[in-house]
Amino acid sequence: MSLISTLLFLPLLGVLILFFVPNWKIQLIRRIALNTSLLTFLISLLLWIEFDSSTARFQFFETLTRSTFGQEFTNGYSFSSLNFVFGVDGISLFFIILTTFLIPICILVSWTSIQTYVKEYCIAFLVLESLMIAVFSVLDLLLFYVFFESVLIPMFVIIGVWGSRERKIRAAYQFFLYTLLGSVFMLLAILLIYFQTGTTDLEILYCSHFSETRQLFLWFAFFASFAVKVPMVPVHIWLPEAHVEAPTAGSVILAGILLKLGTYGFLRFSLPLFPFATFYFTPLIYTLSVLAIIYTSLTTLRQIDLKKIIAYSSVAHMNFVTLGLFSLNTQGIEGSLLLMISHGLVSPALFLCIGILYDRHKTRLLRYYAGCGRTMPIFAFLFVFFTMANISLPGTSSFIGEFLVLTGTYQNNSFVAMLAATGMVLGAAYALWLCNRLVYGVIKPHFINEWSDVTRREFCMLAPFVVSIIWMGVYPEPFLDAMHCSVSHLISHGM
Amino acid sequence: MLLNLRDDSLIALSPSYKTFLFDNDFQSLFPEIFLSTAAILLLVYGVVFSTSKQKNYPLLLTNICWLSLLALVFTFLLLVNSPVENALLCYNTLIIDNFTSFIKGLILFSSFFCIFISLDYIKQESINAFECILLLLFSTSSMLFLVSSADFISLYLAIELQSLCFYVLAALKRNSEFSTEAGLKYFLLGAFSSGLLLFGCSLIYGFTGVTNFSELARIFTGGTQEILTTTTSLPACELGMVFLLVGFLFKITAVPFHMWSPDVYEGAPTPVTAFFLIVPKAALFGVFLRIFLESFYDFVLPWQKILLVSSICSMILGSVAALSQTRIKRLLAYSSIGHVGYLLAGFACGTIEGIQALLIYLFVYIFMNINMFAFILCGMRRETMQTVPRIKYITDLAYLAKTQPVLALTFTITMFSMAGIPPLAGFYSKAYLFFAAMSSNLYVLAVIGVLCSVCSCFYYIRLVKIMYFEGPKNWCSFSRIPVENALTLAITLFFIVFFMFYPTPLHLITHKIALTLCM
Repeated sequence: MSLISTLLFLPLLGVLILFFVPNWKIQLIRRIALNTSLLTFLISLLLWIEFDSSTARFQFFETLTRSTFGQEFTNGYSFSSLNFVFGVDGISLFFIILTTFLIPICILVSWTSIQTYVKEYCIAFLVLESLMIAVFSVLDLLLFYVFFESVLIPMFVIIGVWGSRERKIRAAYQFFLYTLLGSVFMLLAILLIYFQTGTTDLEILYCSHFSETRQLFLWFAFFASFAVKVPMVPVHIWLPEAHVEAPTAGSVILAGILLKLGTYGFLRFSLPLFPFATFYFTPLIYTLSVLAIIYTSLTTLRQIDLKKIIAYSSVAHMNFVTLGLFSLNTQGIEGSLLLMISHGLVSPALFLCIGILYDRHKTRLLRYYAGCGRTMPIFAFLFVFFTMANISLPGTSSFIGEFLVLTGTYQNNSFVAMLAATGMVLGAAYALWLCNRLVYGVIKPHFINEWSDVTRREFCMLAPFVVSIIWMGVYPEPFLDAMHCSVSHLISHGM
Repeated sequence: MLLNLRDDSLIALSPSYKTFLFDNDFQSLFPEIFLSTAAILLLVYGVVFSTSKQKNYPLLLTNICWLSLLALVFTFLLLVNSPVENALLCYNTLIIDNFTSFIKGLILFSSFFCIFISLDYIKQESINAFECILLLLFSTSSMLFLVSSADFISLYLAIELQSLCFYVLAALKRNSEFSTEAGLKYFLLGAFSSGLLLFGCSLIYGFTGVTNFSELARIFTGGTQEILTTTTSLPACELGMVFLLVGFLFKITAVPFHMWSPDVYEGAPTPVTAFFLIVPKAALFGVFLRIFLESFYDFVLPWQKILLVSSICSMILGSVAALSQTRIKRLLAYSSIGHVGYLLAGFACGTIEGIQALLIYLFVYIFMNINMFAFILCGMRRETMQTVPRIKYITDLAYLAKTQPVLALTFTITMFSMAGIPPLAGFYSKAYLFFAAMSSNLYVLAVIGVLCSVCSCFYYIRLVKIMYFEGPKNWCSFSRIPVENALTLAITLFFIVFFMFYPTPLHLITHKIALTLCM
């Protein structure tokens, strides 16, 4: 049993145990789920410790295939068996750790707020965890698609069942159908690749070559899928809806992990598999990203729903990431990887903060809040801190990421870098204004009646975010070291 | 290009082909003979005892159900342990090979489960007509003959026997208007389509003088140059083929000829609908695959075009028309039209991968539909009424997640699988189908298929939405899940969920079978 398969099966083991726990033992269910996910997190840290950062190859290789049986009968292309091959390299390592880091927090955040279907809730999250670890570690194109899509089912349930309002069903629908519509084209592309090469094993595919016109088609089909997930500008509508209607933990996962699926896909598949098409479509990506950065930043200014504001700012940040990815140099890609990790910390933390507010006052409309710095000082401190991280203040993790992204982009196209840099100004504008309206100002009357600062549980939940954001901001070497080899290999090999 | 191994010289050489007149026919047709005999004996048993005064006119339906299930199991065992693997029987009118035994196994399996899941329904609705089960048995045995037919005569006879049973079955509930109407409609259109089929057969016979599939293949082999130069009969043969095709499309409810199916499926009693929806598809696809890939392989361009159009239309209609349905059986009827479209897409490829994809799809389709009908056939109780009505409208499912969470979860997973969401079995079968389509350069088909599958997600998920999120107009709760249905649900759900992890056996079997058919 290697580390990866332990990581994959441990949450499922937790699910199995949960199946046999009676529904009414809510506290026990929560404990089991939390302990399972914490154990998974610890094991994933082991992954990082054991990680050999001096090589670009996939490590912790794990094969769960029984293909030898089928191979002799069927020659040529056939799906006789899927390659359950797993492995980790510098690119996927931190996504796995991020996943395992966020899941215990998801369970912790709903310790009191989720009272219905607790068992199903925990099961959904553990299944989700296992699927997401699988997405980031699987080394087979078709299976990547399978896990990529199957994340939809638990997410649909999470938004639909534990979401907050009537509109949640619409949001769940939108989330589901947008993503599905995008990704079926990727399925066709994968099948075409399979048809051409006879395999979907990623390591073999890295060595194969596609004709230029076919690359364009394939790239675009992959793009259709990943652009929905990222989200790029014409297909980003599902995101604010899904975020607003999802429960807090759902938003944490959405912002923390699911948005990374698209960019991870670009990095893992589009860039190395279709280098020609990547060059060809770089202007498209630049245009869409810059549009998204400016447009969503401006849109954020006029939102009044707290979650929508953070959701739109997520869109802006993720488009920074795509900008960095397609700058096609080491700084840009490493910066975008760092930005992904950092956004995976900052944005969930902000969603958690809003969840805390929502739990107390049952509204997310900004106009009901003001001056909560008076009544909730610790909360105010944390919120301001995370907002600063969101606008990438130097010393926080996002700064390193955005700085590297802008450097990388500047080397490639200075005009785009300039436009993207305006996004930083706009980001500061909406984030500071939000902070201003929420934390400062004249206290609203109903705050006086009902005020309580963050509880110990909530503080424990947010403290790891603070620590890791500062750590990444001040000392990013461990992260950069681990990813450097893989990224430079990607660039030298693919481009 | 297909090799025609069933050549005279080869038959003489290979010892596995037993072509002596009626020599080993009994041995190789043993499953069919057993099933027909069992049905006849059960008929006698039922008639004698249900009219016996000493026994006080017992209701024999459940009894006969169990006995016929037993008969089906025995038939299956006989089929598996059949001593003869490849044979031409009854003066070349019947054929037995791996392909037929696979399809026969599928037919027996699905008709077993169709009867198995309707046991409770029959008890609850107190249908006092044991002959309906016997009709199911007869139609099953006729489908077994249908699959192994290698001649137009036997094909037509088997189809007619099967259809005749079905006409009676559709009109089973004599006191229900819908059922009577369904029976009438089914009869009229079924007879019409059989007429078309027969006309196609006679055209082909008239212009070639041959009714045997393999002999036809020999006549049409080689790009049909011979016929083209010597006679003018080629267009006529093509016309005959088109008529055959139309009859076939009628029978499997593909799109231009689908109009009867929603009415019939809705009107017929639910177990019968389940049977109609699931079982004949396998048999008809089996035999027509053989005809078109063996006899008419050189007409591949025309029939491929027709099938393509029909497949695309079916997929589109299946996904669009089901959007606005309110009755669950009608919705299922349209969804099955969509699935037929996907199956036809595999057929239209005309390659080994295409056939293999079709077979995998058929297999998964049967599992999913059995699962769904096992769910629908569970009895429900409305808050006001004492009777045990069934699910009729899809809104009856409302809040099922509250009243029967496990059942709701099962149904949800099945729906996701029907919609083709990974990692469930439905996804795998669809993916393989699209792969086959792309590998035979039918890109447009693949793209349309993919888009339609997204479209159809809408209504499958709508059912889930109703179960989980919508408030009911009137509360319905499932009174009690019968043991048989629970068992079936469990088995099929297990298959649907865990298929992904080990698809190799099914893949290998279907591959072998597709090769058998094409070689």
